[in-house]
Amino acid sequence: MVIITPAIRILDGVGGGLMFLGEIIRTLRKYKIDREAILTQIYNISMASFFTTASSGFFVGALMSVQFNMQLRQFGALSVLGGLSTSATVRELGPLLIAFMLSGKVGAYTSAELGIMRVTEQIDAMRCLGTNPMQYLVAPRFLGIIISAFFLLFLGLLMSILGGVILATLVADLSPSEFINTIPMYVEGHSVLSGLFKCLCFSVLLATVCTYKGYTTTGGAKGVGKTVLATALATMVGLVLLDWFTTYLAGVLLDTWRAITI
Amino acid sequence: MLEVKNLTKRFGSQEVLKGISLAISEGEILFVLGRSGTGKSVLLKNIVGLLKPESGQILLEGREISKLSEEEYFEVRKMCGMVFQHPALFDSLTVYENVAFGLRRHFPGMTPEEVKKRVTECLDLVHLEGVEDKLPPQISYGMQKRVSLARTIAVEPRYLLFDEPTTGLDPVTTNAINRLISELSRKLNTTSIVVSHDMHCALEIADRIAVLDQGQLIALGTPSELLKSQVPLVKDFLAEITEEDRSRWLS
Ligand SMILES: Nc1ncnc2c1ncn2[C@@H]1O[C@H](COP(=O)(O)OP(=O)(O)OP(=O)(O)O)[C@@H](O)[C@H]1O
Ligand SMILES: [Mg+2]
Repeated sequence: MVIITPAIRILDGVGGGLMFLGEIIRTLRKYKIDREAILTQIYNISMASFFTTASSGFFVGALMSVQFNMQLRQFGALSVLGGLSTSATVRELGPLLIAFMLSGKVGAYTSAELGIMRVTEQIDAMRCLGTNPMQYLVAPRFLGIIISAFFLLFLGLLMSILGGVILATLVADLSPSEFINTIPMYVEGHSVLSGLFKCLCFSVLLATVCTYKGYTTTGGAKGVGKTVLATALATMVGLVLLDWFTTYLAGVLLDTWRAITI
Repeated sequence: MLEVKNLTKRFGSQEVLKGISLAISEGEILFVLGRSGTGKSVLLKNIVGLLKPESGQILLEGREISKLSEEEYFEVRKMCGMVFQHPALFDSLTVYENVAFGLRRHFPGMTPEEVKKRVTECLDLVHLEGVEDKLPPQISYGMQKRVSLARTIAVEPRYLLFDEPTTGLDPVTTNAINRLISELSRKLNTTSIVVSHDMHCALEIADRIAVLDQGQLIALGTPSELLKSQVPLVKDFLAEITEEDRSRWLS
């Protein structure tokens, strides 16, 4: 009993979320989504996270340089520092970091916003005035989060390379060109693809969870509080699980691809 | 013509509506009275499809609407507007944009001038001036309620459902809104259902009054029929009416 009830609740949540994602996709295919509304969302989300993304990107790059410097120095392989640290950022760390940051900022904000609109009957009022809230509220936020995630990922990567270059010059005596020249050798097409794939999966997860939780809020102010909490919990756990799964999936895909091309 | 037949609605194990049947003819004003928590709001929300009934039928001009999909309901809601019990204004939009919201969606062909004219007109009808640019949290609750009313009547629905439109308003505004409801019906032949706790006003402007109790209709009739009713709860509701008023209504 102790295990079964929470397990059913989790399954309910996952199922509900997937059905909601289906509903969003149906909405996207069936209706025109106001471009201005999407752009507003992208602007708001990117602006809200611009500085945090840029600075954490910078520090991640810097950190990687310092860490790899210590290890690579032992093997006299300092010259590959730029390639290795950038490749790790592109494939794994970047997408995950962006997702966690967005979940803290945008995930909480969006779920609370939609939750309040739900409990104050604004969503019902909207339906009564001939507007589909899925099309007018949910879809632009969903797309806004996903598109912004890619934009922020790109920004974070650039900043991490910058941080990496600066620290490599300071601690490892590598010149910027030495750092950057090795990047193409280690960051191959499939690393980039796997990074983009992860970014897509993470941002879809985040966008679905926060719109779903917000849209289905019940129970007044307390309900909104619960929604925000549940959104944070579900995205954190979901991201970790999805990270493992996408790494696994990317590995399988890569192996098949290699098998086919050889 | 709006007909509700044998409507039932439950939330979990709680049976809120237990078989309601009502028919409202064109241009009529029907007042719905009842104690708090008897399901008046739930009844209205079922009619506009915000809640789905468990069983029963809702016929709008002969068409069964209770089983329509959300998409098909958009057409119904264009015809059938609802004023919520709580203002439910879009709090990121100004008062002006709130009132213009439905206009823009239902009449995409309207020019900005026409929209402006209609918005001003509707705000005038509910006695509001100079608040167009304010955001909902910046105006009082009573004002928000009136904006919400203006927002619903702006698109001129032929059927209007009012959920306690005057609760919490001052007597002057209350009178103005009651007059507005009655004028909409007399001039534009709008059919209205008004949920209210205001017995005086019900006797004054209603064509018929329905009394709900515990999810059932316990009385339905013209004001003078109701005054003669022997149902205990109806008599309790009418207790505040003085003999003098009573004889005036009956004559
Ligand atoms: N979404 C909901 N979920 C669960 N129960 C609900 C819901 N909406 C209403 N109820 C229940 O239905 C009953 C009737 O509620 P309703 O809001 O219709 O009352 P009302 O007659 O409008 O009362 P009031 O005059 O106070 O507005 C209440 O007991 C309420 O608990
Ligand atoms: Mg109510």
